Amino acid sequence: MPQREPLVEIRDFRMDFGQATVIAGLSFDVLTGETFGFLGSNGSGKTTTIRALLGIYRPTAGTLHIAGRPFSPRRSVRLGYLPEERGLYKKESVIDTMVYFGRLKGMTAPAARTWSADYLERVELGDKQKARLDTLSGGQQQKVQLGVTIMDDPELLILDEPTKGFDPVNRRLLMGIIEEQKKAGATVMMVTHQMDEVERLCDRVVLLKDGAARAYGTVTEVQEEFGGTTVTVRHTGALPASGSFRVLSDVEGLAELDLARGTDLGALLAELMDAGAGVSQFTPHRRSLDSIFVEVYGEQAGE
Amino acid sequence: MAASNLGTVVRFEVVRTLTKRRFWVATLFVPVLIGVVFALVTLSSRSTSTAADQQAQAHFAFEYSDASGLVSPAIARAAGGQEQTDVAQGVAAARAGRIAAFFQFPADPSTQPITITAQDVGVFANGKYDAVAQAVLKTSVTERIGDPKLATLAAGGITTRTTTYKDGAPAGGIATVIPPLIYVVLFFIVMALLGQQMLAATLEEKENRVTEMILTTIEARSLIIGKILSLFVVGLVQMLVFALPVVVGYLVFRDQLSFPQLDLAHLTLHPGQMIVGALILAGGFALFTGALVAIGAIMPTAKDAGPISGALIITLVVPVYVSSLIISDPGAPIVQGMTFFPFTAPMTALVRNALGSLGTGEAVIVIVELAVAAAIVLWLAVQLFKRGSIEYTRRVDLRGMFRRRG
Repeated sequence: MPQREPLVEIRDFRMDFGQATVIAGLSFDVLTGETFGFLGSNGSGKTTTIRALLGIYRPTAGTLHIAGRPFSPRRSVRLGYLPEERGLYKKESVIDTMVYFGRLKGMTAPAARTWSADYLERVELGDKQKARLDTLSGGQQQKVQLGVTIMDDPELLILDEPTKGFDPVNRRLLMGIIEEQKKAGATVMMVTHQMDEVERLCDRVVLLKDGAARAYGTVTEVQEEFGGTTVTVRHTGALPASGSFRVLSDVEGLAELDLARGTDLGALLAELMDAGAGVSQFTPHRRSLDSIFVEVYGEQAGE
Repeated sequence: MAASNLGTVVRFEVVRTLTKRRFWVATLFVPVLIGVVFALVTLSSRSTSTAADQQAQAHFAFEYSDASGLVSPAIARAAGGQEQTDVAQGVAAARAGRIAAFFQFPADPSTQPITITAQDVGVFANGKYDAVAQAVLKTSVTERIGDPKLATLAAGGITTRTTTYKDGAPAGGIATVIPPLIYVVLFFIVMALLGQQMLAATLEEKENRVTEMILTTIEARSLIIGKILSLFVVGLVQMLVFALPVVVGYLVFRDQLSFPQLDLAHLTLHPGQMIVGALILAGGFALFTGALVAIGAIMPTAKDAGPISGALIITLVVPVYVSSLIISDPGAPIVQGMTFFPFTAPMTALVRNALGSLGTGEAVIVIVELAVAAAIVLWLAVQLFKRGSIEYTRRVDLRGMFRRRG
């Protein structure tokens, strides 16, 4: 796989609000063409980081670059941004609002109108083109906002909790659209608390805690960092003491083993058999991001 | 990404404003009201005039006595009158209803009233007695003078035409004041009509939570300038809508409403005065717009912004209260202060410019000062919008915002 260039570069980012330091020396990259998960508990500074990256907040220190320079709507890459705080011109019609944003993004009026009409048909809002936005349901408004976000084939998609407010059906639709954008070559940076989505979509992630990166790398690397692989073992004999694993649980012959980093699964199985453990089932698992998230944030995540 | 989105912003803002029903209701309310008042005044005026004419020409049987010797028996007879030398008998006949009225013309009608005794025919119809008595006396006197010109002069029909000179050239008088004075009216109307819209221009983004979407799509400066330009276009439309019924009303009803006859051909345009006025108007508009946009950027809602924007609008009105001083004593310290204080400068300097009391040096200072102040306030408005409009629910901490390192 060819080495990919970073599209987003954040170095030593620090953000203070009054006496409070929200972000303290955060650094990470988002590579061109990848889908990047920006994870953290509520209030951990994810939205602040995105706002600073997009020039809405001034950083206290550090550099935040997109394509090698601070973000500017006129000079940067084509951006699609779905903010956490959702909103559009509520008194305007759906189609007028979409065409306006399309024009601002550089599309011609006819192109923006055609694109918007097609998109609205796709998300089952074809009959709402002339409806005022404030007459739509929350979920319908979310769809319109997503449409505005992905207009004009963005090179960089920044999605701050994109599934917030979507029901499971529409969440699936949204994820399909994000995957399409990814396939079309867009770099996607998303904030989400849906860890299954992260495991399915993201190439790499950063976990933000106390204003700094607690973990950073590919999903597999992060999983390995937090215990990596576990193995479910059904056994009849005693499990040997070993430096290759630690026993997480062992109830009625069904044990959960947490493997030490670098442990070879075949060697482990052989070690157990040699020790007379009587293994009848040996099922390896990767540790879920969900459990890692719970471990990292503990009670804080629920705040 | 589009190099410049000014046109897109202006078109969007103008179209969405002009296609709103509430805009036209608000805009048409005042001219429609003016039209209704015009119509009522015209109808009333016509009706009064017609009634007065009819009353003066009313024909009824009356008797009169003439101590002045001015009343022509032939004219009185033509109006239905007959002379009665016995005043008591005439009064008694009128009181008893045998005749409609009895007029006593005094010895000196220029200082004494005509005494009328008559049958009551209602508050308004009773006016015919007064009208006929006066008509009989006036017609008799005119006949006595003999020469219609003398009669007109005696009735006070005298006009004057004055020409004054300044530095050896005709000064022009009111004809030179009216054109630059239009800037004062324009500025006041634009601010009165658009002040609230200027304030709401950026509050809308905040209240709708659309700030982040918009700020990552277009430069804040382009957005603000686009909004200001669109406000100007909307203001022009409103002024046209306002002006149309006034102009039509003036042209159609000026006779009925006794408007002064303005000969527009005599209006004198001094290029210097007009250019100075235009520059002050532009600077003032930019300054006030920038200030209102800035207020909108730091306040969470229009309601919260109201008191501060109200204070700003008061600075616009203050010069009106001291207008007599501005006109009579432009050198007074208070007038000088208001000429150079940025927020009172537009109105004060525009009035002084129209009256010819704003010196060239003063005009230059005011124009430069307004341009600099407007630029600073607009820059501030853009910064506040960029930083402050993200604070959706609370007032912006200005000190914290500017303390933060860039």
